[in-house]
Amino acid sequence: MIALALLLAAAIEYSAPLKQFVGAVGKDGKPVLTQGQLHTLDGLPEHTRELLSTAIDNQIIGSAKHLGILLSVDMPAQSLALVAQDNCVLCHTDPGNVKARSLFSPDPKVSNSNPLLNLTEFVNDTHFRQGLSCSGCHGGTPKDESMANEIAQRWPSDPGLRHADRTWIPGFCARCHSDPAFMRGFSPAMPTDQLVKYQQSKHGTLLLGEHDSKAAQCVSCHGVHGIRGAKSRNSKVYAQRIPETCGTCHADAQYMAGYKNVNGDPLPTNQLAQYKLSVHGKALLEKGDLGAPACNGCHGNHGNNVAATAVAVASFSQACRTCHPTNASLFEASKHKKAFDEHQWPACEQCHGRHQIMKPTDALLANEPGALCFDCHAKYSKENLACGKTAAHFKGALTQLGEGKAELSGTVEHLAEAGLDVEPLTGVIGELSEAVVQTRTRVHSFDQGTFDSAATPGLETLARGRKLVADARAEHGFRRKGLLMAIGSLLLLASGLAFKIRGLGSRASDDEKRP
Amino acid sequence: MSRAFDWLDKRYGLTPLVDFLKHKEVPVGGHSMVWYYLGGTTLFFFASQVCTGLLLLLFYQPGEATAYESIRFITTKVPFGWLVRSLHCWSAHLMIVSLIVHMFSTFFLKAYRPPRELSWVTGFVLFMLALGFGFSGYLLPWNELAFFATSVGTDSMKAVPGIGDWLLQVLRGGTDVSAQTLYRFFALHVVALPLITVGLVGGHLLFIQRQGMAPAMGTHVARRGLRFFPDFLLRDLLLWLLCLILLATLAVSLPYGPGLPGVEWELGKKANPLAPAYPGIKPEWYFLWVYQLLKEFPPHILGMEGPQAAILLVSVMLGIWAAVPWLDRRAQRDESSTAFSDLGVAAILFVGYLTLKAWDIGGKGLKVPDTFAVARATSIITVIVAAAIFALRRFAYQHRFFLLSGAATLQIALHGFLRVSYLNAGIVSVLLIAAGFAYLRLRPGPSVPPRLGVAP
Amino acid sequence: MPDEGCPLKKKRSRRGFIDIMLGLGFMGSTASVVYPVLRYLKPLGPSGAQGPMKLTKEDQAKLEREHMLIVRSGTTRILVFEDGQQKLRALDARCTHEGCTVQFVPGESLIWCACHNGKFDLDGRVLSGPPPRPLAQYSCTREADGSLVVNTDRKKEEA
Repeated sequence: MIALALLLAAAIEYSAPLKQFVGAVGKDGKPVLTQGQLHTLDGLPEHTRELLSTAIDNQIIGSAKHLGILLSVDMPAQSLALVAQDNCVLCHTDPGNVKARSLFSPDPKVSNSNPLLNLTEFVNDTHFRQGLSCSGCHGGTPKDESMANEIAQRWPSDPGLRHADRTWIPGFCARCHSDPAFMRGFSPAMPTDQLVKYQQSKHGTLLLGEHDSKAAQCVSCHGVHGIRGAKSRNSKVYAQRIPETCGTCHADAQYMAGYKNVNGDPLPTNQLAQYKLSVHGKALLEKGDLGAPACNGCHGNHGNNVAATAVAVASFSQACRTCHPTNASLFEASKHKKAFDEHQWPACEQCHGRHQIMKPTDALLANEPGALCFDCHAKYSKENLACGKTAAHFKGALTQLGEGKAELSGTVEHLAEAGLDVEPLTGVIGELSEAVVQTRTRVHSFDQGTFDSAATPGLETLARGRKLVADARAEHGFRRKGLLMAIGSLLLLASGLAFKIRGLGSRASDDEKRP
Repeated sequence: MSRAFDWLDKRYGLTPLVDFLKHKEVPVGGHSMVWYYLGGTTLFFFASQVCTGLLLLLFYQPGEATAYESIRFITTKVPFGWLVRSLHCWSAHLMIVSLIVHMFSTFFLKAYRPPRELSWVTGFVLFMLALGFGFSGYLLPWNELAFFATSVGTDSMKAVPGIGDWLLQVLRGGTDVSAQTLYRFFALHVVALPLITVGLVGGHLLFIQRQGMAPAMGTHVARRGLRFFPDFLLRDLLLWLLCLILLATLAVSLPYGPGLPGVEWELGKKANPLAPAYPGIKPEWYFLWVYQLLKEFPPHILGMEGPQAAILLVSVMLGIWAAVPWLDRRAQRDESSTAFSDLGVAAILFVGYLTLKAWDIGGKGLKVPDTFAVARATSIITVIVAAAIFALRRFAYQHRFFLLSGAATLQIALHGFLRVSYLNAGIVSVLLIAAGFAYLRLRPGPSVPPRLGVAP
Repeated sequence: MPDEGCPLKKKRSRRGFIDIMLGLGFMGSTASVVYPVLRYLKPLGPSGAQGPMKLTKEDQAKLEREHMLIVRSGTTRILVFEDGQQKLRALDARCTHEGCTVQFVPGESLIWCACHNGKFDLDGRVLSGPPPRPLAQYSCTREADGSLVVNTDRKKEEA
């Protein structure tokens, strides 16, 4: 093995410092660097190996083991080149140089070090890859061979102290991120209004106004050493991961104890659970539909506005309107708009809920206690009797359409297996699905005429579908009958033939009998 | 009627022919009668293929944009189009089933012995042609299933030594399966193969008419016969009517096939060359054994590529099968030849096992079933069948030669129960056969042929 | 002949019965085969196999009135409309998000899906909203006699 390593070293012509480490042998007699690590080393471009060699020469890469750790992390060559030029990273990844609590390692769990110091995450950090390394935030320069005290003092080692006051964090990140001229050099399309929005948000007012360090700031959601862009699947703020990121605090009853909403009630912590059951939650988390809103879809990103104040009421429904414009505009033209405004009710949320928005069913419309419309009207609008009839009409039509669609869909497979042509029927079912969607949407006008403009064609389509099914069944019956008739004739012919054969046989034997 | 006959007779001398036909007889006796009808049923199904095929041809349009659509048109818009297509598909499978049973029955009855060698050879070629019909016809609907099955099937052509690549390109009309493949397969299926088949069937029938059907072993001329016209023919027609009833019932009740993998023909989705093959793709059932055998070979073996070795093996096996009339010396002498009956049983076990395995029986319906679970389950089934056949032969027919079928069963048992790889188990079996033959050759004393008259 | 009489007469009447069976059976079987074949052979009306789809006169009139038309071909829905340069376009009318039927908004020169506010440009590319993929394009041509034909085979991707 050593010979092979030396041979390889000879083949690639390592510089002296590298050769020394490549050939290093541990106390147990086995080489320190594994085959995999040597393979990585050989695969590097020449100048990256030179950088490593220089670092070894300067004794910043302190041992073969240290080199091995660097080579074992899965990163592209250019990231390794960045690492090799950054003394901060080099020192802090050397287990022989720093204590466990300050050790940057590929897997903090294994090396028992600070979970934030994850080397594997760090090499994928977007700041690091753009060239902003440790020194960019912590101070000093990458060429420093030792760390000044003031750098250490900035980040106190005691976690209690560290978490005691986090009010400085938003301003710190904003040094760069609120500077459009600076950010233009890195990511021209990225917005630079995060701090302004944050300052006006609830998290911002809590942290910056009331010095409550429990409130979320940049690091809470984006992380610190493994920050990735929101489009990356591994980012804490990737669409599908946002609910769990927000839920880290907002679903933790203990953490949220003591916080109250605008009315003085304690803030609920069931939003995440409710969201996961909702249409939006299922669409985003289970179906993978990235068009479905996560928390930030309605609450915004940095300027989250959760307070249900009078001002905010209208703004809430606007959030729904971004994706559901037809329902919103129908509602605004309806009788309910005035009524809701008088009661100061938020439009969509009042009926559909807030976090646990379920797929609306026709049960909402039933004209009996327990149904949403009935209960609300019984309480607030007893004098409008016509509404009950309208609701019944809505429900009746929608039930017909829904049941009709289920009935038709159920027969499609049967008919297809029987060999009948189901394409027109499949087309009709598609039309019917759409009719259902359009009809349901028009419920929001709360006007029979508007509703019927979609319901009536829908019912016609249903009738067409039923006729297609009847025709198909008739065709099936015709085929069966035809088969039976054909078999009947064939059997008749066959039996006649059988008798004929028997007759021939007996005649033959008769012939034989005759002298 | 007789005036028309006299008119023709004066011009073409029909009387000797009619006399010959009047006195033609089919050998009768024993249980073998039933098997004599199977050639006729195969012919009946072939005839129904020609008729339904002709009807389909009136509407079918080969071509990437029209093949699938025209078949959809036939099955949905043309009156009784669904029936014609369903009949065509069912009749194809029934024809091949009938052909295989016919082939094995003539094999076991040793109808190939002199003077009927060429009947066997033409029959063998007809078998290959029937498989060709099945393969070429399968692509014509240009749906997903057909497209991938054809890609996989034609791919195995690469394994033919020497001309492999050339053959692949000629078959496919290019490097990949495309519209060109469709045109070529269409020409094959509708013109080339029918012409050759009709010619060969004519030859095959001519031989049989001229020589008469083979009598049972041990006799050169049948003791008693059934007149061909009208007795045998009427019985033949009756059976054909019953086949027609079966065919019609199946075509109407199960228009898309019995629902077994490799035996279904729902039109499904149109072929999309850019889409990945869907899992569970399998060729038609009569190709499953070759498909499975290809899977059992490693990528490289004995200096050849695995598929090449597999194709070579299959070719050798088929070659032996075709040459049986000349290999079976004892049958030539009209002596009981249990060794060759054994060969037939071995062939059934070999092909049957591979086919069952290709159906993933015992795989519990998983997408990627555990191969050893499948091997075990199929081995259990096959070994039970092998035992039943053994018992039948030993006690009902007093056969004593079980070397070949025993070796086949051994391979199946080793693979299924002891997890030996299929190839290694095969090598063990081949060694067993070699040892067996060596023993038979070298053992002292003349081998006493069993008494004549004992059924082979 | 002395052996004549009952047995032979019986045989004759039995033979007659068998002949009737044969006759009826033969006719019925022949009819069962010939009837479907004859119906199969008779050519159908002008609607042939799927492929290019000619728009009916009513469809064309509707297109002129409302500047937009949705036609069905089997289970495919196609949106036909005229763009700003009087050119006829055809796109798949099924939104790539949840499958709702889209509509043409001539004032804004875009295709809009009312279900979740998805917007497409006139080439079918997604402008905003949740749809993950663009709409497929179909070619739509004006024939010599002035009628419109939509080719239901997907248009090949332009290089």
